[in-house]
Formats: sequence, C-alpha cells, structure tokens
Amino acid sequence: MEAIDAIMGRRSIRRYKDKKIPDETITKLLKAAMNAPSAHNKQPWHFIVVDDKEAMKKITEYHQYSKMLENASHAIIVLGDNNIQTTDFWIHDTSAATENILLAAHAMGFGAVWLGVHPHKPLIEGTKKLFNIPDHVTPLCIISLGYPEETKSPRENYNPERVHKNKW
Amino acid sequence: MVIGFLYPHPTLFSIKLDAMKAILGRRSIRKFTGETIPDTDIKKCLEAAMAAPSACNQQPWHFVVAKDKKTHEKVMEIQPYTKMLEQASVAVVVCADPDLQTCPGFWVQDITAATENLLLAVHAMGYGATWCGLYPDDDRVWKIKELLGLPKQVMPLNVIAIGVPDEEKPPSERYNEERVHYEKW
Repeated sequence: MEAIDAIMGRRSIRRYKDKKIPDETITKLLKAAMNAPSAHNKQPWHFIVVDDKEAMKKITEYHQYSKMLENASHAIIVLGDNNIQTTDFWIHDTSAATENILLAAHAMGFGAVWLGVHPHKPLIEGTKKLFNIPDHVTPLCIISLGYPEETKSPRENYNPERVHKNKW
Repeated sequence: MVIGFLYPHPTLFSIKLDAMKAILGRRSIRKFTGETIPDTDIKKCLEAAMAAPSACNQQPWHFVVAKDKKTHEKVMEIQPYTKMLEQASVAVVVCADPDLQTCPGFWVQDITAATENLLLAVHAMGYGATWCGLYPDDDRVWKIKELLGLPKQVMPLNVIAIGVPDEEKPPSERYNEERVHYEKW
C-alpha cells in the first residue's frame, strides 16, 4: 500500500476474524516500531507480544475499553524503559513507535487499535502485575491486532482552523 | 547535482512510496537545498498529521506553519539543535491544546502520533525533516510560546524542520530482538 494512503486510511479496527497473524508479520510490525525516531536516538522501547487467549482475557478484566481483545489474534504491549530515557521524552518515543505499528498493520491488511494505559495508575499497575514488568519500565499502551472483520472508510479529519501561518 | 538526481522534485515526478518502505526508510534529514516546498504539499503533510489516532478521537492538535526566515532564526536561538532551519523551507511547530481533551492525560501521545504521521508523509513525498523537541523543556516551551503568541494553555511539543533534502541516508537497522518479550517480561 502507498504510504500516504496508509496514513490517510488507517482507522481503529475492533472486530476481527478468528485467525492467527503469522509470527513473521509480528516481527515486521516490530521492525516498523523500532524504526521510529526517538529523542537523542535512545530507542527506549520494549514490546511484549501476547497471543495467549487467557492473558488477553485477563487484560479485559482491568481495562474497560479492551473487550475486543477477546477476539484478537495478538496484543502488543508497548513499554518505555525509564533507565534508558530518564525524562518524559520516553512517552514521545514510544508513541511514535506505536503509530508505526498501527500504520504498518494497516498497510499489510491487518486491523489494530491503540488502547491507552499511561498515565492511568490502575491500568499501569494492572499491566505491570499481569506481565511481570520491572519497576524501571512503564507500559504506554496495548495494541490489539487481528485480521479485520470490519471495514471503515477514511475519516476527514483535516481542520483548517488548526493551522496557523507564522504566528497563532 | 547528484543529490538532485537522487531526489527528483516531488512536484515534477509525483513520488509514490510504499508504506513499509516509508516507515523503514525514514531518517532525520538535516541538510536541505534551500528550495521552497509548495503550499499544497505542506497541506498534504498536515492532512496526514490530522489523520492520526487520538484518545477518544479528541484531536487536541494545532500546527503553526512558519515560513518566515526571521522566525526560523529566533527558533534557532531558542532550541540549539535546530540549525538545519537555515536551509529549511518551513518549520512546523506542533502544539497541543489540552483544553480540547475529552479523555484527559493523553495529549502528549496524541500529538506525537500526529508528528510521526507528519514525518512519514514528508519522507513519502520525497522531502526531508527533523524532529526537534520542545516539551517538556520548560525554557524552550515558554520562549516558543512567547515567540509565536500561543494562548496560555497551548503547549508546543516540537518543531519539525522540513525542506528539500541535500543529503541521502540509507535505512538504519534498528531492530533489536532483546527488546521483544514473548507472553511475559
């Protein structure tokens, strides 16, 4: 898929077919993620790849907007290592990596949705406990992935009122 | 000029780049020819930025598009790593208005996703860009707010220097298997 079309056509996909995404595809998504820019090129990210149905169901018990995980092929947890990036730039770095995963998934014909975790304490704690995450690492978000069972047309989000020439 | 051959001007050659190639090939470009990028292409990049996902679809972003060289000079004084603005065509300051949030707490992530879309669109169209951080550096944030006349609550997150590239960088291999964990940490 052409890059601009992928960017303009990406939507949050929450309904999936009962089918597993191949491991090679997951690796491609992670390559895309790790090619994101990061402050001082510190690349402070980690990823937990989850395809265990039980674990995904456990996420739905503490994360109220994650019901689609019951039918997802995979969940990828995107995390920031606070020892590598000690300032809040880790949030920027891991968000850019997350967006790359969403775009790559869409470009390859898969569906995905970004489920927010940081900065909500109960969601951070729930994720850290369930996946045995060390103290110096913070989960940013969970990405739900699968073969799409719904199609959505591109959204017209462009708003000229949000563009300012030279000054506000 | 060799570089000009490697980077045919997008308006003349209408480059179409595959999405994965764009994601895997995007690099920070800091050398520009000084040529001007047409407004229609800048608009396409902003359309890409505004197609980003945001928490509860709140879209809390604003973009200040600065073509004025005097503004570029002042930005270079405020943020020392923006020297590439000397030859850049535009500086886009990506801002957040936290008051636009319906799901509070996510504005940094929303604006960053929009920024990454902007960078990928720039690269896909044959231009080059570098992301220069502002927030959370208080000094840079306040000076940029003053320079651009941003409303009190509006936060500038970064400056994106965009131009016609005068350097070529191969894709960088950043994949690191040690950062991937299966099922648990």
